Amino acid sequence: VTKKKLIVALAGNANVGKSVIFNQLTGLHQHIGNWPGKTVEKAEGTLHFRGYTIDVIDLPGIYSLSTFSIEELVSRQYIAVERPDLVINVVDASILERNLFFTLQLMELETPLVIALNQVDMAKKKGMKINHEKLEELLDVPVVPTVAPRGTGVYELLQRAVETIEKRGRAHAQVKYGEEVEKRIEVLSDLVEKVPYPYPARWTAIKLLEKDEQVEREIRRINPEIISAAGKLAGEIEQIHGHSCSTVITSERYEIAGCIAREVQHIVPLIKPPMRERLHALTTHRILGYPLMAISLLSIFFAIFTFGDYTSELLSALFYGLEPIFESVFGAGIVGQLIWGGVMEGIIAGVTVALPYIIPFYLALYFLEDSGYLSRIAFLLDNVMHKIGLHGKAFIPVMLGFGCNVPACLGCRIMETERERLLTAFVVTLVPCAATTVVVLGLVGAFVGIQWALALYIINMLIVFILGRMAFKALPGEPTALIMEMHDYRVPHLQTVAKQTWFRMMEFIKMAFPLIIISSLIIKLAEVIGLLDPIADILSPITVAWLGLPAITGITLIFGVLRKELTLIMLANLFGTTNFAAVQGFGLVEMIVFTLVTMLYIPCVATISALVREYGWKKTIFITVFEIVFAIIVGGVASRLLILAGI
Amino acid sequence: MKLRLTDLKNGESGVVTSIKTGHRRGHGGHRGAGSRWGFRKRLEDMGLTPGTRVTVVKSAPFRGPLEVHVRGSRLALGKRMAERILVEVER
Repeated sequence: VTKKKLIVALAGNANVGKSVIFNQLTGLHQHIGNWPGKTVEKAEGTLHFRGYTIDVIDLPGIYSLSTFSIEELVSRQYIAVERPDLVINVVDASILERNLFFTLQLMELETPLVIALNQVDMAKKKGMKINHEKLEELLDVPVVPTVAPRGTGVYELLQRAVETIEKRGRAHAQVKYGEEVEKRIEVLSDLVEKVPYPYPARWTAIKLLEKDEQVEREIRRINPEIISAAGKLAGEIEQIHGHSCSTVITSERYEIAGCIAREVQHIVPLIKPPMRERLHALTTHRILGYPLMAISLLSIFFAIFTFGDYTSELLSALFYGLEPIFESVFGAGIVGQLIWGGVMEGIIAGVTVALPYIIPFYLALYFLEDSGYLSRIAFLLDNVMHKIGLHGKAFIPVMLGFGCNVPACLGCRIMETERERLLTAFVVTLVPCAATTVVVLGLVGAFVGIQWALALYIINMLIVFILGRMAFKALPGEPTALIMEMHDYRVPHLQTVAKQTWFRMMEFIKMAFPLIIISSLIIKLAEVIGLLDPIADILSPITVAWLGLPAITGITLIFGVLRKELTLIMLANLFGTTNFAAVQGFGLVEMIVFTLVTMLYIPCVATISALVREYGWKKTIFITVFEIVFAIIVGGVASRLLILAGI
Repeated sequence: MKLRLTDLKNGESGVVTSIKTGHRRGHGGHRGAGSRWGFRKRLEDMGLTPGTRVTVVKSAPFRGPLEVHVRGSRLALGKRMAERILVEVER
């Protein structure tokens, strides 16, 4: 049986339950990657339906198809140029007007379309009833009401989708603007019609009137006369309406969306505010919101670290139990040492951090995000983040950084501009991750005092703040302001949360593990051929003379590149004891300085690989070198200050 | 009365008249996300077009963002962004 292949794309606003529908459709047959050459995520999945193999592409959640963000560009390019067989537009029934604004733009792209009228249950709870048959009639687009978490309507959605594809050529209603605008769109699209351009002529004409940067640039290359004609027509519209042409078109499009929404929805005002509204008011309260946030975040961190600690120890005990077996198979010679100390230690390093800390972190993050609480935190912390030139949303990657810097670096994608992504990533690499916390608590916390551990955290946060602010001043460009939707609180869909965590985990393993293993092997090789001691000697002007640490700490700091807590493990190995208090020449000052340097000195190998992937080698090397130099300077200064203070 | 969105009291609503972009058009004509032009477009795309009724629910402390209701959705707008939105209010 030859199966016919179809490609269906999911498009819609953010937070409309698109990813839940994607998961309902594709199950575990998913692949998450990037759009070619872009740092925009591309989720793909496959399903089989009525003899078809359907590829489902989950487009990013966006509000428009302009050039505001890379996500919008990627989406419209995909729809217009790659031409999927059909686009499923997921629409939030409870915010119909704004969602239809996006639907109208999809219609203008002249793509075959089916609408999933999602969250109809939520809309009902808000007192909204929507006549979906009427909506279907007005738009001339199939509309299927769905409740994604329960899977309601998903089968029918597929049915209608396949039917629509089979009945090729079925056009939906045309979006009609006001007479003044409409006339000029027609004039312009007649001109555009004559040039070869992959986008529909009418759409191109509208975009030219809106002064869309990309379309202008591309059309100018083909025929600059069209641009001047468009400029003249846009000027006329501006004359008539007194607003910029892009504003006029957006307004009119919203007007159409509003008319349709009012026609199909019936709203019964609620008598008393529902629970989620009161929860929203409480969690964004100008006073109560902050302690609530602190309590919830701290308890999440506490839970993750408790779980992580326990599991991490368990796993490493399990793995190290294998050591004798490896030794008996490969012998204790160079090969055996390389396989165990290089490859296996690398894998252990990855597994004992990745599984125990990163999985619960992702779970918590997606849970918070999907429920809507994360956007409330961003709301509360916006002004704090502004001090370092970022806005509230940057808090999300920063928070992730406390778990692991790798997902945090990838999480910087939620920022709108390249500049902010880089700035956030820089800040994130300075945040002490779970592995760093192990060192801080295990060394300073255990042997110097917990108040010193806390002080180190505070110093670290101050450094993050100061360096972030300096980077913000140094990087060209203006800071952007927060524009963020706070969707209604809802119960997260656990299956989707779990799947997102799973795929994110696989991404982490694929990206970080090879590098961890390779560098682990290189370091082991250096050790086996006796290079470590000479290296420690070479480093001694820094470690001994400037930082006042024992020479062997140079070796441990090299191992720390793999993952930060190896500095502590190696230290115990080299000192031959875990009771650091008994070691000569490694007093309280040395412990504090050593820990401080460990906290700051380099993003670990996995983080470096994440940085390279997102920002390229040049910026990564700059950040890495900067942090090494900075950590050494801070360490030396701290050492002298502590001695002066007589500690 | 014409006011900035940030001048509205909690619970008060007004009708958007315009969004100021300043004289400069971003950086050298760039109209992406980093420019003011880009942000006006973004606000309009989120529903804040001239003639739209917008309600200020509250603002976060220490010059934090504004929570507004517009076209049935709830948005958080940074203070400096909100200052550029002019609204007509009946007082």
